[in-house]
Amino acid sequence: MEKKYSFSKSFKIVCIALMAIGVISIAIGFISSPEKAWADLLLNNYYFLSLAIGASFFMALQYITQSGWSAAFKRISESFIPYIPVAAIIMFVLLFGTKSLYHWTHHEIIATDPILAHKEPYLNLPFFIIRMIFYFAVWIVLTQLLLKYSKKEDLEGGMTYFKKSEFVSKVYIFSLALTFSLASFDWIMSLEPHWYSTIFSLKNFIAAFFHGAAIITLIIIILHSYGYFPFITNAHWADLSKYIFILSIVWGYFWFAEYLLIWYANIPEETIYFVKRLAFPWKILFYGNIAINWLVPFVVLLSNYFARRKSILAFVIVFLIIGQWIDLYLQIMPGAVGKFKIGITDIGTFLGFTGLFIYLIASSLSKRDLTPKNHPYLEESLHHSMH
Amino acid sequence: MYKTKIRGVLIKGNKSYRQITDDIIRPIEGKTPRWWYIAMTISTLALAMGIWAIYITISQGIGRWGLNNSVAWGWGIINFVWWIGIGHAGTAFSIFLLILRQKWRTSINRAAEAMTVFAVICAGVFPLLHMGRVWLAFFIFPYPNTRGPLWVNFNSPLFWDVVAISTYLMASATFWYIGMIPDFATIRDKTKSRIKKALYGFFSLGWIGNARSWLRFETTALILGGLTAPLVIAVHSIVSMDFATSVMAGWHTTVFPPYFVIGAIFSGFAMVLTLMIIVRRIYKFQDYVTDSHLNAIAKILVFISLIMGTAYSTEIFIAWYSGSEGEIYTFFHNRITGSHTKAFWTMVSCNAIIPQLFWFKKIRSSIAMVFIISIIINIGMWFERYVIIVTSLTKDYMPSNWATYKPTIVEVGTYLGTIGIFCLGVLLFLRYIPMMAMSELKAINKETS
Repeated sequence: MEKKYSFSKSFKIVCIALMAIGVISIAIGFISSPEKAWADLLLNNYYFLSLAIGASFFMALQYITQSGWSAAFKRISESFIPYIPVAAIIMFVLLFGTKSLYHWTHHEIIATDPILAHKEPYLNLPFFIIRMIFYFAVWIVLTQLLLKYSKKEDLEGGMTYFKKSEFVSKVYIFSLALTFSLASFDWIMSLEPHWYSTIFSLKNFIAAFFHGAAIITLIIIILHSYGYFPFITNAHWADLSKYIFILSIVWGYFWFAEYLLIWYANIPEETIYFVKRLAFPWKILFYGNIAINWLVPFVVLLSNYFARRKSILAFVIVFLIIGQWIDLYLQIMPGAVGKFKIGITDIGTFLGFTGLFIYLIASSLSKRDLTPKNHPYLEESLHHSMH
Repeated sequence: MYKTKIRGVLIKGNKSYRQITDDIIRPIEGKTPRWWYIAMTISTLALAMGIWAIYITISQGIGRWGLNNSVAWGWGIINFVWWIGIGHAGTAFSIFLLILRQKWRTSINRAAEAMTVFAVICAGVFPLLHMGRVWLAFFIFPYPNTRGPLWVNFNSPLFWDVVAISTYLMASATFWYIGMIPDFATIRDKTKSRIKKALYGFFSLGWIGNARSWLRFETTALILGGLTAPLVIAVHSIVSMDFATSVMAGWHTTVFPPYFVIGAIFSGFAMVLTLMIIVRRIYKFQDYVTDSHLNAIAKILVFISLIMGTAYSTEIFIAWYSGSEGEIYTFFHNRITGSHTKAFWTMVSCNAIIPQLFWFKKIRSSIAMVFIISIIINIGMWFERYVIIVTSLTKDYMPSNWATYKPTIVEVGTYLGTIGIFCLGVLLFLRYIPMMAMSELKAINKETS
């Protein structure tokens, strides 16, 4: 049980190589088409930030619901947290690209567009930056507090830090409701500043939680196949896959609620969003999105037999990794770039970010024992069984 | 399986199995208490009022309601949505908490399911009357007919409502009944009255409690549960679509389906809380519905209240952000300010602000406060439907259409009547049906989570 994860040199090199590919791709992107490169940066940063937010929400949720079964996997969710400050830095770099990404930053456009002029009190660069600082400040402070308490709990034990973590989790969930909603409106929805949808932020939040939970599961699967977490039984796999299964249904439900209502009411200001996305070639991604993020996990994990096979679970998660990318590509590119072109630079940038993300996770995991010490529900998690 | 001791036991008092049976059966076997007769009388009076109102509506027509061409939906639809919302309690308790492995649900789920069934019946009264000619209500069913090519409009959310709600009623009633079979058998075996023996014997379907029966019983419950869970989401999503598929300002917003479902669970949980606080007091069931049960429900309510607050603010924000004049007018000049301010702010304070008091442990552990807030939430949820329906309809896009709306005594009477039906149902339930699932209680006896 005392096993610590060791971040091997060769794996480090792989991560760094991936990052190098990313840097080169971004550089090529900026030379060939800067507009696309900015959009790619936004996409990938939001992608991995959403995973980190999703995973930290997962952890907070385990605290407030006093869930015992997942206590042993707390480190995995914790390891996503270091990405949040990195995402903040990249978001600030992205501020240089706002002119290219967001139409509402151009004064000459606002002057001729009464709707954008109406939105100016909210959609203006200084306020945008202030909000961004606020979001990241809240996320970083609260998640770091959770980390701090977790470290102290390891050393001292007792219920004090568990109670404190529980409280911080409540505050974190409370503040995520506001901050993550506005952040998705700001960063993604305002790419097409005329369009609006109230479920947008909620859908993106669920997508973050959904894919965050999926990646947590994937990491557990990988570590388990290297001999870590020897206590894992079918019950753990069943619970992890249930998370993915249910969240896929919720995601599909939100997706459908948005689409059906906009299609049905057929108000031009709203419908135009889907008109663009239902034109060829976007159409392929549009249907691919719902198929990958909802249909695949739903159909495959419906069967109890499949849901407890870690290889099948991993197979589904690989789909979901692509799924979240497609979802965000569809949300960002039609507004930010307008042309459909998935090229080498898109993939390269994604690989680069993946390398960075894995590096951060692996180095965070290697610092402390893989199973938390002194967590009050640890024993329950280690001996979790079906009943 | 290993269980941490932190969470505390689910049933207090270190009961034996026999004690559990005796405790739960006592209200059924004992003499009818006086309060029960008084409550029955009041409920019957309310029902009588309802019957009068329904008689007036059927014999004289919808014109006796306060509706007009602009405000074609009023109390009827408000109360319909309100009751359906309360009707989400049973499924939320039985299914969602079952999936989430919250075993404390065991002492509450039976009562919650009973509420579901009665609330859905109450809800059904309103659209039925609203059709105008009740005797032609069967036109809504899509069966091969002799009326020529006249079919129901399959594209209409109102038709989806009929399908979803009738399915939901059947599924939840079946689920409720099946769960009761072993308990009916227990009463059959214990009772000394021959009439009761015959009746409970009939309803227990010859249950003898062998291993095979239990296996099938549990499998059936699980399958039914699995089928009902999506159904409950579908029901209120479809109810929300009655509004959201339109182009009315304040109605057409994409967040409506999940927001309605959450709101429904909110009011359902609040109603369960109200009921359980009364029941545990009257029947001295503090060992089964412990303070930590109430605490847990209060915690869920504060969480849902947060979601409600987020939904309200998102709606208001997007109304402004959209730049659409209709939306801006509806939210900023007809809800936040304007002639419906009171209703709007009642809704916000009852649903999003006052339940936040549950953050404080002191408030959560004061039974009186919990009781008051649980009622406040249901008042707030009633006003939410009022705000949505009445504000948008009284002032729509065309000022020449603007109208006012006041309910008449007939509408109020119908509402009171449904409250009567609900209370009657619950009272009969408390008197004749074991209000907690004895067999399930025994399974979690001495467990901690």
